[in-house]
Amino acid sequence: MALLEVEGLSRSFGGVSAVCDVSFAVEEGAIVGVMGPNGSGKTTLFNLITGALAPDAGRVRIEREDVTGLPPHRICAKGIARTFQLVHPFPGLTALENVLVGQLYGRRRLPLGRAVAEAERLLETAGLGGKGHLPAARLTVVDRKRLELARALATAPRVLLMDEFMAGLTPAEVGEAIALIRRLHGQGVTLVIVEHIVWALLDLSHRIVVLSAGEKIAEGAPAAVARDPTVMDVYLGTAAGA
Amino acid sequence: MPGAALLHRPGASELRWAAVVLAAFGSLALLPLVVRRDDVLNFGVVFFLSVTLAQSWNLMAGYAGQVNLGHAAFFGLGALVTRALWIQGAPILPAMGVGAVVATVFGWLVGLPAFRLRGAYFAIGTLALAEILRITVGNSLPEISTLPAATIAGYSLTRRFYLTLVLAALAVATVAGTAASRVGLGMRAIREDEAAAEASGVGALRHKLLALSLSTLLAGLAGGAFAYYHISYYPQHPFGPQWTFDALLITFIGGAGTLHGPVLGALFYVFLKEYLAIRWVDLHLLIFGVLFVAIVLLLPGGLVEVFGRVRGRPRLTNP
Repeated sequence: MALLEVEGLSRSFGGVSAVCDVSFAVEEGAIVGVMGPNGSGKTTLFNLITGALAPDAGRVRIEREDVTGLPPHRICAKGIARTFQLVHPFPGLTALENVLVGQLYGRRRLPLGRAVAEAERLLETAGLGGKGHLPAARLTVVDRKRLELARALATAPRVLLMDEFMAGLTPAEVGEAIALIRRLHGQGVTLVIVEHIVWALLDLSHRIVVLSAGEKIAEGAPAAVARDPTVMDVYLGTAAGA
Repeated sequence: MPGAALLHRPGASELRWAAVVLAAFGSLALLPLVVRRDDVLNFGVVFFLSVTLAQSWNLMAGYAGQVNLGHAAFFGLGALVTRALWIQGAPILPAMGVGAVVATVFGWLVGLPAFRLRGAYFAIGTLALAEILRITVGNSLPEISTLPAATIAGYSLTRRFYLTLVLAALAVATVAGTAASRVGLGMRAIREDEAAAEASGVGALRHKLLALSLSTLLAGLAGGAFAYYHISYYPQHPFGPQWTFDALLITFIGGAGTLHGPVLGALFYVFLKEYLAIRWVDLHLLIFGVLFVAIVLLLPGGLVEVFGRVRGRPRLTNP
């Protein structure tokens, strides 16, 4: 059974169609990659799923429950979490407090005492052990990404949407990020990831959805999508004389 | 390290400072027994009222990140309603309670529509409410309000001193309790980044309304205490913008988003104001303007930042 279902999702901004009639489904335990050139509507799609934007048409369902048009905090409580393309930590809060927000307000609302103990463990998992007392503003860019992830995981999501988690990382850090995502998947987290580093996306994903100018132009296994002529056309341009 | 976890849990600093401040207030409760000078007790009343008003503004702006530029509206409504009920014979505490509730209802009138929008709407809405009320009250109640002769004959300054002391302690306890609770963390998350807070499950509207309710209740109670304290004043006086800016200045001078900041700020501000007002009369307003600009530019964390620096622990200021 599909855990997350997106059906005919559309949204336009003053006549420009940003996302147009996009449908796909995410099975429990899967990693689904979303790719497409700049401006193809990937982030808008995430904003529509998480309630940051209201769709003009279409449905979003989690475990068959319709969550279309709910405010973001209600959607988070239903089990859809996200990380932002540009990290959004709470700068004046400590790393520990950042994670606590997710734990106290997410899907599994823990009592404060237990949340503190578990938050320390989550920081450890994300590679931020011993940094819990630092204000988020004083963390490095990589550590802020780790914190963003830890905070999203703290909401106990059924499905986690990761928007360009690897953007701005060095090649070595990309390797670490891939290992981290695999580890999360191993722990049973269902993932939808948007990524510009195509090889990493093809490597990680079980299935790929390709967007171009707001429309879904292909969907399938990574190997098949990589050979798809329409996809190659979008990424590389039409071959001369073809 | 469970000890470290406890040390760093949200609100730990506020709870520690609340214990210090409440102990200090407790010893101030002995003041009327040792000093029988009216000027000292009057100073105490002004100080406690300032603490209450500043903490109520601080809860809203320093913790939930919502700047209220018309706090005088809620102080004024508390004063207006309490004074009317009390002079007609109602006991003072229930009269203050009703005044505080009326202030809160008006708070919702601005907050419910403004909090659905992002940006400066709440600041503009509260500023407008305070001015509308000040002008309306000034026009419909132009006469000075003076207590009946019988009440003046039995007037006890000590009673006002204790009432405002308890009120200031209540305000301090409210801020500390909020800061150490789940909703306090949610409010601070909204202050830092509303979109990220929503994405993490924090309902922004509900948290802002809760902060507004607590804030306006305290401001309304402070207004009620003012109505009980002052023998005669123009009914529009407590609606004046100086009440808003006193609360704002004290909070910023002391340190917004901290518990001890507004207490230190009130002490500093009330002393300085008395001193300057005696020497330079109206010029003190100009001096406070300059002081405010200097603090915002040089010391954005307020006076408490100085102590943090002295103790070698640079405090991170709120953006």
